[in-house]
Amino acid sequence: MVSEKVKVRNVTGLHLRPASELADICSKCSCNITIVHPNGQVNPKSVLMLMSAAIKAGTEIEIKCDGEDEKESLKKIVDAIQGGFGEELID
Amino acid sequence: MKELIVSKVFSHGIAIGPVFLVPEEYTTVSDAKAETEAKIESEIQRFETAAEKVAQDLSLLAQNNKIFAGHVSIIKDFTLHDAVKHKIREQHINAEQASEASIEELRCIFQSMDDPYMKERAADITDVGDQLLACLQNRCADKFAALKTPSVIIARNLVPSDTARLNQDLVLGFITEEGGVTSHVSIMAKSLNIPALVGATGILDLVKEDSHVVMDAGTGEIYVDPEPDFAKNFSAKKKKLEEENAAYLADAGLPTVTKDNRQLKVYANVGSLKDIEQAVSLRVDGVGLFRTEFLYMENSHFPTEEEQFEVYRKAVETLGHEIIIRTLDIGGDKELSYFQFKPEQNPFLGLRAIRFCLKNPDIFRTQIRAILRASHYGPLRIMLPMLISLEEAESALELIRQVKQELTREQIPFDDKIQVGMMMETPAAVFCADEFAQMMDFFSIGTNDLTQYTLAVDRGNQEIRDLYDPFYPAVIRAISHIIKAGHKAGIEVGMCGEFAGDRRSTKLLLGLGLDEFSMSASDTPRIKAALRSMNYNDEQKHAQEILQLRHAKEIKSALDN
Repeated sequence: MVSEKVKVRNVTGLHLRPASELADICSKCSCNITIVHPNGQVNPKSVLMLMSAAIKAGTEIEIKCDGEDEKESLKKIVDAIQGGFGEELID
Repeated sequence: MKELIVSKVFSHGIAIGPVFLVPEEYTTVSDAKAETEAKIESEIQRFETAAEKVAQDLSLLAQNNKIFAGHVSIIKDFTLHDAVKHKIREQHINAEQASEASIEELRCIFQSMDDPYMKERAADITDVGDQLLACLQNRCADKFAALKTPSVIIARNLVPSDTARLNQDLVLGFITEEGGVTSHVSIMAKSLNIPALVGATGILDLVKEDSHVVMDAGTGEIYVDPEPDFAKNFSAKKKKLEEENAAYLADAGLPTVTKDNRQLKVYANVGSLKDIEQAVSLRVDGVGLFRTEFLYMENSHFPTEEEQFEVYRKAVETLGHEIIIRTLDIGGDKELSYFQFKPEQNPFLGLRAIRFCLKNPDIFRTQIRAILRASHYGPLRIMLPMLISLEEAESALELIRQVKQELTREQIPFDDKIQVGMMMETPAAVFCADEFAQMMDFFSIGTNDLTQYTLAVDRGNQEIRDLYDPFYPAVIRAISHIIKAGHKAGIEVGMCGEFAGDRRSTKLLLGLGLDEFSMSASDTPRIKAALRSMNYNDEQKHAQEILQLRHAKEIKSALDN
């Protein structure tokens, strides 16, 4: 299992559009993925679960990947979150 | 042949053709059980096929509108899929029941969240759920799927998501049972230049699936199942009208000058970059009302300075003429998916337009910065909506002054002489017009709201639709007062409500001294031609007589002659 902490940087947080982009990326990975956020943890392959976590800009979250493509998957996910989904960034 | 006359008209053109009745039925969900293993598997298969079809459908829409991309993710979501399959397997219920229950559970989760944005997402889930259910019941979620030949679209009412799916090439005209001339469908029909009649009470009782209709959007006439000859005569009339329009369009690029040499500006009202392109093709002289709400409403967050700047800059560069940008006019009937407005008893008297902006200065400042920055790339003006007091004007002007200072400090170029004006749309603004005129560079009369507020008539209320009439002397006199006050202070007075594009009112407005007429772009060639045929001196005298009239009816008949 590999994991990394990352801060959500796009101004609006993980609302519908960024969440659906992220869920899309995660769904293409074959490993198991968990996002740990201040109020619990979610499976980011589900956009509904991801949105229900209501993760806002500036929140630090931890991505955990477990499975055969875990390293590549973790990098892809972290890059996407740090890229801010094409939105304005908070910092 | 059956006949129906709609009293309030707002567009032009004749449409003749078969009827397309927009379906509105809801079929109840069957409670058939899935008892056997084979039946369970077939129900799961049915759900998956339907979900796949809805996803494909939505993907097509998503190409043009980001909102639908989110809907695609929802319908593909494994949480939803797992929930439905689990219910079919464990509770032996059918695919419809399982889908309905799962969607409802998810909706409740979002509905109960604290975050107002997330709460709103319950509506997205319901929307997707409705389409899934429709697909499972073999009703087409795309209400227009059966529309194959050019037809007159008849519906109880149409919402934006309906029109997003509509193939415009197959639309000859629109008739809706409900709705007013300022409703969504009418504004859209105008910008697409499609004949439309709304508030046609009784139309759904008159037409059947296989009916044919003849409609004249300019006169409000609708004929259902006419005799063959009747339609032919109407076609001849239609041809003549088209020829007239072509002639108007050919002259559209000429200056608008009355017979006695009064030069006028005929501008367009626009609500998107697409409207700007249409305005270019109709050779309008400028834009008298650039509604910025689309930037906020078709978005998932408050648009950033950069996003707005790009749009304003593109608009003015595309048009190549002056654009009057109205600052955010949100609230009232216009809401945002990502911002929770507190429920109001009287939204039109509530937190909207400039009130919202002054209470949320960061949002206002972002927009002002974007407009000022774009003003470096072409002639822009700023227009403030819904002012009722000099304090509001002072606060807004002060904020603009501060933003200018900021930009100067940051060495960002902008037009320092940018004109700032206001909408005249409240009785309060009319009474204080003289003082406002001292502070502003121009006035623009918003007749839709001015009529509503002056007459205290809710323009969306069907029951009192007859009372919503800008030809009432009270409204006409308010307009006259505003123009006089503006001219006394030496500032330009324009109009950007529906009234400016009404042929009858053109004469009167000319006579009252209006400088700039702003209307749907599609109306401009016709109004330009009308103004060129008029004599300012004559209309001035005529207008003074009309101001003495006591009834709306007298005013209308005086203008018909």
